[in-house]
Amino acid sequence: MYTPRINWIFLILFGLAAIGVFVAALLLPPFRAVAYAPLRELIIPPPAPIVVTVLYSTEKQAWLEEVVPAFEASGANVNGHPVKIQMEKMGSWEIINAVLDGSRQPVIISPASMLQIAALQDSSTIQFGRSLVIPADAINCRPVLRTPLVLVAWKERADALWGQQPGASLWPNIHDALVNPKGWAAFNQPDWGYVKFGHTDPLKSNSGFMTILLMTYGYHGKTSGLTAADILNDSDYQKWFLEIEASIGQFEHSTGPLMQKMITYGPSVYDFVAVYESTAIEQAENAVGRYGELRVYYPPATLWSDHPFCVLNADWVTLDHRKAAILFLDYLVSKPVQEIALLKYGYRPVDTSIPLEQPGSPFDRYAANGFRADLSFLPEAQVPPGSALNTLRDFWARNVNR
Amino acid sequence: MRNTLYLLFSLLVILSLALSACGQIQGLLPGGSVTVSIVYGSEKKEWLEPLVAQFNAAGNKTAEGKLIVIEATPMGSIESVRGILEGALQPTVWSPASSVYIPVANAEWRKLHGEDLVTGNPNDLVLSPVVIAMWQPMAQALGWPDKAIGWADIAALATSEEGWSAYGHPEWGEFKFGHTHPAYSNSGIVSIIAEAYAGAGKQRGLTEADLDDPKVRDLMAAVEKSIIHYGTSTGFFAERMFERGPSYLSAAVLYENLVVAQETKRLNGQSSQIPVVAIYPKEGTFWTNNPYVVVNAPWVTAEQREAAGIFEAFLLDRPQQLKALEYGFRPADPSIPLTAPLDSQHGIDITQPKTILEIPSAAVIDKIQTLWRETKKPVDLVVVMDISGSMRGDKITTARASLLEFVKKLDDRDRLQIILFSSKISTLTPLTPLGPKRQQVLNSVAGIFEQGDTKLYDATLAAYQDLAANGNPDHIRAIVILSDGADTASNQTLDEVMSQINAAAGEGGNAIKIFTIAFGSDADENVLKQIAEPTGGKQYKSSPENIQKIYDEIATFF
Repeated sequence: MYTPRINWIFLILFGLAAIGVFVAALLLPPFRAVAYAPLRELIIPPPAPIVVTVLYSTEKQAWLEEVVPAFEASGANVNGHPVKIQMEKMGSWEIINAVLDGSRQPVIISPASMLQIAALQDSSTIQFGRSLVIPADAINCRPVLRTPLVLVAWKERADALWGQQPGASLWPNIHDALVNPKGWAAFNQPDWGYVKFGHTDPLKSNSGFMTILLMTYGYHGKTSGLTAADILNDSDYQKWFLEIEASIGQFEHSTGPLMQKMITYGPSVYDFVAVYESTAIEQAENAVGRYGELRVYYPPATLWSDHPFCVLNADWVTLDHRKAAILFLDYLVSKPVQEIALLKYGYRPVDTSIPLEQPGSPFDRYAANGFRADLSFLPEAQVPPGSALNTLRDFWARNVNR
Repeated sequence: MRNTLYLLFSLLVILSLALSACGQIQGLLPGGSVTVSIVYGSEKKEWLEPLVAQFNAAGNKTAEGKLIVIEATPMGSIESVRGILEGALQPTVWSPASSVYIPVANAEWRKLHGEDLVTGNPNDLVLSPVVIAMWQPMAQALGWPDKAIGWADIAALATSEEGWSAYGHPEWGEFKFGHTHPAYSNSGIVSIIAEAYAGAGKQRGLTEADLDDPKVRDLMAAVEKSIIHYGTSTGFFAERMFERGPSYLSAAVLYENLVVAQETKRLNGQSSQIPVVAIYPKEGTFWTNNPYVVVNAPWVTAEQREAAGIFEAFLLDRPQQLKALEYGFRPADPSIPLTAPLDSQHGIDITQPKTILEIPSAAVIDKIQTLWRETKKPVDLVVVMDISGSMRGDKITTARASLLEFVKKLDDRDRLQIILFSSKISTLTPLTPLGPKRQQVLNSVAGIFEQGDTKLYDATLAAYQDLAANGNPDHIRAIVILSDGADTASNQTLDEVMSQINAAAGEGGNAIKIFTIAFGSDADENVLKQIAEPTGGKQYKSSPENIQKIYDEIATFF
C-alpha cells in the first residue's frame, strides 16, 4: 500500500542518521585527522596554543629536531595554553640581518655564538635606540650548548706543518705556508702541491667569522682588547690578512658542508680547515678509510660557539611568549636533553655536572683523534665590542667577498 | 521499496564520509604538473637515467600538489652551457661534470643579464677525479705504481721520436693520446688547462701573462701532437678506448669512475681487454663534482625551483648515493664508506689525488682555449659528397647548408679537400690549407647541384688514396662521406675498396678515419657501416632534419 507520510518520516530519519555519521566522522580520532579542517574546527575549536617562533643557526638542526617534539608532547603550557615551538633555520648572521631589517619577528633567536648577540646589541642600539637583546639577563639570554673552534687536519700534513700541536705562532706560520710559492715543496713534500686551507664565508657563517677574528688576534699577538683601529689603521695587517684570504679557493656558506668536503675530497682540496669541534666529531667516523688519519688540533687561543638562546627585547614579544620561552629554555638545558647533545652530537653541555669522558661519549671514543675533554689549558680569546666585530665584517665584505 | 531505502541510506552514508574526508580527496585530484628540465654531463648517464625514471614513476609532488616530471638530457658539459648562453637551451637545472667552467659561464651571463648564472654554492651530486687512464703494462713501463707520473711525463713521451721504444717497448709503436674537444666537453677543457699549468710550471695562480711564455705553447703543442682525435663527450671517448684497445689509444684523459666501470666489466668477463689503470697526475688534477645548478635565469619559475629541489634531495639521499658507488663514483655523502668497486682491483687508488690545480679565472680559461686552437693538431680532411639525382629537393639544400656550417667550424690551419660524386667523380677543391681559400670554398659549396648516378665505392677509394698520398701523418686524417643511396655505377667492388682500407688499419689510432653519413631512408647503412667502423670512424644515420647536428658531432673529432 502506498503511504507517502511514512516515506517522509523514513527520509528524515535517514537524513538525521547521515548527519550523525558525518559528525561522528569528525569526532572520532581516526577520522578527525583526515576530516576537512574548517568544518572540524567549527565544531570543536582546539585550545589556542602559544606559538614561540625561534630563528636558529643550522649547526644544531639535528639536535633541535630530535628534542623539540618531546618538549611539545610534554604538556608544557602557560595558563592551560599549550606551548608550540615554530622553528626556522638560518645562517647565524642571516638571523641578525633578518631581525634588523624586520623581515622576521621571532620570539627567540639562537645564532651560533655570543659574537652575533654582541653585534646585534651594537647595531640595534644604533638603529632603534634600544638593544633587541640583553645578554646580561641570564634568564632570558643563555648559552645552551658549547663547542670551541678547532683546526681539523690530515695528520700527515699537520705533522709536516706544525708537528704534534701548533705553537703560539700558528697563524703567522699558516700565513707563511699559504703564500709560499713553493707550497709543500718547502716542507719537503713536492707531491702535495700548494698548501690549502679552508674556512667558511664569514658574512654567512659564524665559524668563518670566528676564524678571521682569531687570525686577526693572531696577527696582533694578543687574545683581548681588539679594536676597530687594529683592523682599519694597520696596512701591514691588512696585507697579511688579505694574502691568507686570497689563497682560499672557495668559501663554503656553512660549516657542515665545509667539513663534508674535507672528508670527501680529502687533502687534495683541503690540508686543514677551521670548523667547530662538534662538527669534527660528527664527521669523525666518516673520515675513516679514505685519506689517512684525520685529527683535531686546538689553536693557541680559541673562541667558543656557545649557542645562546635569547628572548628578544621587542614589542612583539608578549608576556605569555616570554613565559613559554623560558619553559622551552629550561627544557633545553635540562640534563637528559643536554646528554643527547653530548652523546649524539658532540656538543659540550652547559650543565657541567655531565661528565664529558663517560663511556659512549665522543670524547672517549675519539680521544685518539686528538679530541680533548679538558680544555682548561686553552686560553679563550675575548669577544671584542660589537663595533670591532662589525668593522671586521665590513672589511672582509669590501675586500674579499666572493 | 525497502531495497530502495537501503540504497538511499547507503548513498547518504558514503556521501557524508566522502564530504568529511574531502581534505584528503583534494590531494588526489589532478592538480596539474610541473616539468623540470635538466641538462647534465653524459658521464653520469648510467647512474642518473634510471633514477629519473624511478623518481617520475613514484609520482612526487610539490607542496601545492603538482606532479613533478623530470626531463633529463645528457650533453657535453661545455656544449650545454654554450647552449644556455646562446639561448638555444632553457633548462631548469644544469649539472655539468665539474665546476671548472662556472667562472666562464658566470662571466658570459653577466655580460648578457648583469648577474651570475650560478648563484650560491651548488651541491655536489657525485665525485670523481680527472685521471689519465692508461693500459696497465704501459703505465708500468712508465714506473707506475711506484713512481708518480705527471702531465710533464705525458708531454715528454708525446714529443719523443722513439715513442714507446724509449721505454723498452718498440712493439707498442707511437704514444697515442686522447682527450675530448675542449669546446664541448669538461675533460677536454681540464686537459688543456692542466697542460697550460704544466708548461708554466705552476699549480695555482695561472695568469694571462704566463700563457705568453713559449714553454707553455711548446708543451701544449707537444701533447696535442700525440692526440689521435678529439671527441664530443668523455663517456664516448672511454667507450672507444676500451672497445678498440691499446693499439688504438695508449692513454686518454677520463674520469676515475669510467676506469672503475671498465674494470668491473673486465672482471665480470664482459670485456677482453687488458687491465686499465688510473694515473693521478702528480702536478695535480681536477675533480668532477657534478654540481646541481638551478640556473639563475628568467625562465625558471618558483615552482620549478621547488620541484628541482625535491629531485636534488632525492639524488642526495642515501640509496641513490649508494647506487653511485656501484657505477664507480665517489658519493658526495661522506657517510658512505669508499668500498668496492673503489679499490686497486679496479685500477684506482682512493688515497689519491694528492693535490689539485686551481681553477683559473674566466679570462685565463678563454686565453687557454685560444692557445689550444693555435697549437692543436690540425686535420687533413676529405669531404666526399653524393650529388646524384636522388639528392634532389630538400636533401641537396640541407646537405649544402650544413656542409657550409661544417666548413666554417674548421680552422685556418686545417687542410680540406672536397670530392663530389655522381656518375662522375670530381674534386671541388684539393687538399690545401683552408685559411687562404675559405671564401672560395664556401662559394663553391653554395653552388653544388645534383645530377646522375651514385659512384660511392670509386669515390671512397679515390678519397682514401688521395689522403693517404697527400695527407700529413702528423695531422688528424679523416674522410667524411655523405651518401643517400646504394652504389649504382662504380668500377670497383666494396671488397676491393675495403681491402685497401683494412690494410692501413694497423696504424691503430693514427689511421685515416672514415665517417659515413647515411642520408635519408634509401642509403645503404650496412655498406656505410662496413666502410666506417674498421677505421675508428663512425657511421651516422641522418635526414634533412638532423644533418646539421651530425656534422656538428663529427666536427668534435677535430
